Amino acid sequence: MMSSKVLIVGGITLVIILALGWRYYEIGAHRAIMERRLMETPPSQVQSHADLIRFATAQAKPLFAENCAACHGADLKGNTAIGAPDLIDGSWLYGSRVDQIERTILYGVRSGLSKSRDVTEMPADGQRGRLTSGQISDVIQYLLKLGNRPHDELAAIAGKSVYNGTGECFDCHSGDGKGDSENGVPDLTGGSWLYGGSPAEMYKSIYFGRHGTMPAWQGRLTLEQIRALAVFIHTASRQ
Amino acid sequence: MKLSSHIARQGRRFTDWAVLACQRPARPAVLAIVAAGLALLAAGLYRPASSEPTAPPPGVIALVNGEPILMSDFMSEIEIQYTVPFDQTTPAQRAAMLHYMIDNELLVQRSVALDLPEQDTETRTVLRDSLTALITAPVLAERPSDADLKAYFDAHRANYANMGSMTLIDLVLHVGGFENADQSVDQAQADAVEAAYQLRSGAGIEEIKQHFGFVDSGSVTGEEPDFAAKLRLGPKLYAVASQLSDGGISQPVVVNDTVHLLIMQHRRQPVYNDYNSVRNNVYSDYVEEKKKEAMASYVRFLRSSAKVILAPGQHE
Repeated sequence: MMSSKVLIVGGITLVIILALGWRYYEIGAHRAIMERRLMETPPSQVQSHADLIRFATAQAKPLFAENCAACHGADLKGNTAIGAPDLIDGSWLYGSRVDQIERTILYGVRSGLSKSRDVTEMPADGQRGRLTSGQISDVIQYLLKLGNRPHDELAAIAGKSVYNGTGECFDCHSGDGKGDSENGVPDLTGGSWLYGGSPAEMYKSIYFGRHGTMPAWQGRLTLEQIRALAVFIHTASRQ
Repeated sequence: MKLSSHIARQGRRFTDWAVLACQRPARPAVLAIVAAGLALLAAGLYRPASSEPTAPPPGVIALVNGEPILMSDFMSEIEIQYTVPFDQTTPAQRAAMLHYMIDNELLVQRSVALDLPEQDTETRTVLRDSLTALITAPVLAERPSDADLKAYFDAHRANYANMGSMTLIDLVLHVGGFENADQSVDQAQADAVEAAYQLRSGAGIEEIKQHFGFVDSGSVTGEEPDFAAKLRLGPKLYAVASQLSDGGISQPVVVNDTVHLLIMQHRRQPVYNDYNSVRNNVYSDYVEEKKKEAMASYVRFLRSSAKVILAPGQHE
């Protein structure tokens, strides 16, 4: 014979099970629907769907914290010590569109996969003996000038000729120093510097070269998770 | 007290019965609620298993025999092909690209079915190179310091020298050979010491050959670059020869059952480059060596878990 206590506890348990079941069902169903919508909406149009952005952001935040924040920082501002780009400064190396960000996450940067972003690479012009210390210093003065920062005018003039001559810097960074924001060539005229914009760091970049890498996340994260991250990063960069 | 406690006991009994009476008819409903709750819980947690799909999953533009063609790859390919943003491509362009990519996928799948990675040399090379790129990618991210490069340069000076050359005669005495059937190594060495002495004293080469039974090995003919001389003489004789200057005559060198005398006719010494003039090469060589080390380590790992069975009598 059941006591009234058992009946009450049993009743409450049943209600909890029912509520949990309903909640899980609702969350699961809602999530599946939203994931499908997120994937089916053309990447270029996601920004016009506030509910998709909210959903992607909610999905991506814990993913970012777990997988991306170690390099790019929890605040998405990157890490100049390792050349991890600031993701919210509006400066892009491999395109700013959702589909371009998604592709960078999918295949990485110089990850060894042929689909990864690896068109360009900063050579070790000093270490390889292509440029002397003096030439590098002159180029730095020219870069400071391009960025409207205090500089030595005479050295900057000499640096410009190295930039457009022996150093062949113009070949990737273009004559005006604005680089190529879709092929991994940084803009040298803005305030965004992968490794910090101090003359000492500039010297290191030119002398030792740079070879930043990012792993490919295909296979480690689902396509839906990668899309959510791309939307999240794209949205954050616009705020 | 007794009466009141009896009434109270009876009252509780009545209450219990009343509750049970109310619950009894509700038992099927309770079970139904439990079932519904559990079913909803399961439905919420359920993710469909990978059975035969009727439509590509999100993010996939086509499934070809179950293999996905990613939307991202499709968009990238079409932008490269038509050099316009994806949104500006026409339906016809998209259809053509999709057709091409499906054809491509089918051909790749067929090549795998035909076991081309096993049968075709080029396929094997491409696969190996792709994996190598994947394994060595992290190595390239580690930029060497100047000290690393200088240490590498110092350890490989010979790689950064303009090639020297040598013109020499290699006189050889075959111990116990036809001409010297009863000769021991010690006797041959003593003869060679005497021959070297006489050569340094002005004796002619032909005279020495006839008197002691030396023959010209003929291993170095005319002026040979250092690498060729090293190949022909072998490392032991080359090490001695490379130290001789013009007109120099070596001490006897025993190699197995032969004793050699080397007579240097003309030596052009290699010119060693200084570090600064070959930094670019040092850098490239250093990186290449690091890549080789990374690959060797990876292959060791593969071997550690591989099962390799060799045919009888074969060894690596």
